[in-house]
Amino acid sequence: MLDLEGLTPREALGRALADLGDLRKDVVVLVADTGETTRARFFAERYPERFFNVGIAEQALVGIAAGLALAGFMPYALTFAAFMARAWEQARNSVDRMNLPVRLVGTHAGFADAYDGSSHQMLEDIAIFRVLPNFTVLVPADSCEVYRAVTASAAVKGPVYVRVGRDFHIPTTCGMYDRFEVGRAYVAVEGGDVAIFTTGITLPFAVEAAQLLKDRGISAAVVHFPTVKPLDYAAVEKYASATGAVLTVEEHMVHGGFGSAVAEHLSQTKPAKMAIMGLKSYGRTAKNPQELYQYYGLTPENIAARAEELVRLR
Amino acid sequence: MERSRPELNGLICKARRYIVLMAGYDPGMHLGSSLSVVEIAAALYGTGRVKFNVANGTRDRNYFVLSKGHAVHAIYALAAAMGYLSIDELRETGSLGSRLQNHPEVDTPFVDVPNSGSLGQGISIAVGLALGLRLRGEPGRVYLVTGDGELDEGQSWESFAVAAHYGLNNLVTIVDLNGVQLDGHSEEVLRKGDLAARFRSLGFEVFEVDGHDVGQIIEALEKAERSAKPPVIIAKTVRGRGVPPIEDTAKQRLSRDDALKYAGNIC
Repeated sequence: MLDLEGLTPREALGRALADLGDLRKDVVVLVADTGETTRARFFAERYPERFFNVGIAEQALVGIAAGLALAGFMPYALTFAAFMARAWEQARNSVDRMNLPVRLVGTHAGFADAYDGSSHQMLEDIAIFRVLPNFTVLVPADSCEVYRAVTASAAVKGPVYVRVGRDFHIPTTCGMYDRFEVGRAYVAVEGGDVAIFTTGITLPFAVEAAQLLKDRGISAAVVHFPTVKPLDYAAVEKYASATGAVLTVEEHMVHGGFGSAVAEHLSQTKPAKMAIMGLKSYGRTAKNPQELYQYYGLTPENIAARAEELVRLR
Repeated sequence: MERSRPELNGLICKARRYIVLMAGYDPGMHLGSSLSVVEIAAALYGTGRVKFNVANGTRDRNYFVLSKGHAVHAIYALAAAMGYLSIDELRETGSLGSRLQNHPEVDTPFVDVPNSGSLGQGISIAVGLALGLRLRGEPGRVYLVTGDGELDEGQSWESFAVAAHYGLNNLVTIVDLNGVQLDGHSEEVLRKGDLAARFRSLGFEVFEVDGHDVGQIIEALEKAERSAKPPVIIAKTVRGRGVPPIEDTAKQRLSRDDALKYAGNIC
């Protein structure tokens, strides 16, 4: 049995791809000089003939993946999320318009690449892939969920974007649910005063915030959305109605991302008091992502404070 | 099906006339770019290398990628000349309800890659298709037609480098070197350098032909298909060929009267 908790998110990605390669002969993997750093190497070692390195060329990466999809394969194209963005127009014109089963995996997303600074810290990818009509957008929280999301992505008909970090994660989802379903939200903590919606790596921060709130007599629900698109509208509405106060938390810009997706839906269905937590500008070089979460205020303490504020405003 | 050179030249002439007639109905089409690629298209479709009547999912066949998707009217016209489209349908090109859109779309007939409107992207897709065919062990080839202006895109050379690196000799590239792009003559817009040398340095085998001589194109195709390296045929053409006032210019439009006049002069 694979010890997923013991793997880093990118190792979970590489293992998931290698295991998918066992199950499906149509899976091919492409990288842009990122075979080692994305851990696509795990797939390459098992299936060298189905692995292609196109060099530091993201536009070709996505375009060639589209061609392989037209030839009947299911391509997974991996590179840093920050540089996958360079091929957004290829994702739009060569992939999304034809609704091809191309899977783009953006690694080192958010603050995961703390060392390399803001050029490498992708905080806009949820927004730019969410806006494409046919793309499914998956934002797993930890290595367990990376493995499950990548595995589940193989069953999606159209294109998929998967957002993956690097080495930092706080294992949270392994025992949280049995089966990963694309488009489904998972309740991490039940509560009735305020709903904290999370996606990606911020889930454990919200779980800790709920504990802090509990100590202050506030019952906070934490609902985790590893699929940002299609969003689990039923879960959004249910917890917005039950609490009347929704706080979203993401390691992404506050504009256009997960919080925006929730706000777009709630404003047209069940308006609730809402706050969107995330980033408003670029990151910086740091020794590890945790320093950046502290520096930019993505912490359990701040999440609890914002939630408490919302409860008072409700 | 084997066609004699005179038969092919008859098709080319007819297709060129249809392109000019379409321009009278559709001010949005790219007339000059379509007129430069007619012989190239005829060398592929007219010799049966690629076919208009391919059922979806058919394996063991060749693929056609028109990366300069704005010239798709040459394909529509050739399809009509070969009996796969009606003249009435040609007249509807560029209309909202027509499947003959001004760039290939998902519902556009006869194109294997229905979204080649964005330059450079068809080249990557063709490379991906060729890789995929080889991986499946299929004997089919991918015939890729690009423009010369399109070679300004970095993505073009990213993709050619991959084709050379993986030795994709099942990808046959044809450059429609018509020497003109949106803002004028290509060399003035942005220097292209020695194209043949650029391709050779990557590891391509290069063939240079007169792109309005279908015989030369076919001979080059026959050699390209035997090449051990990825082959590229650089076909020197004239943008707007057959309509003197727009030849070798960036102009793309004709009034309906002019379209009728020049179409009548073609054959």
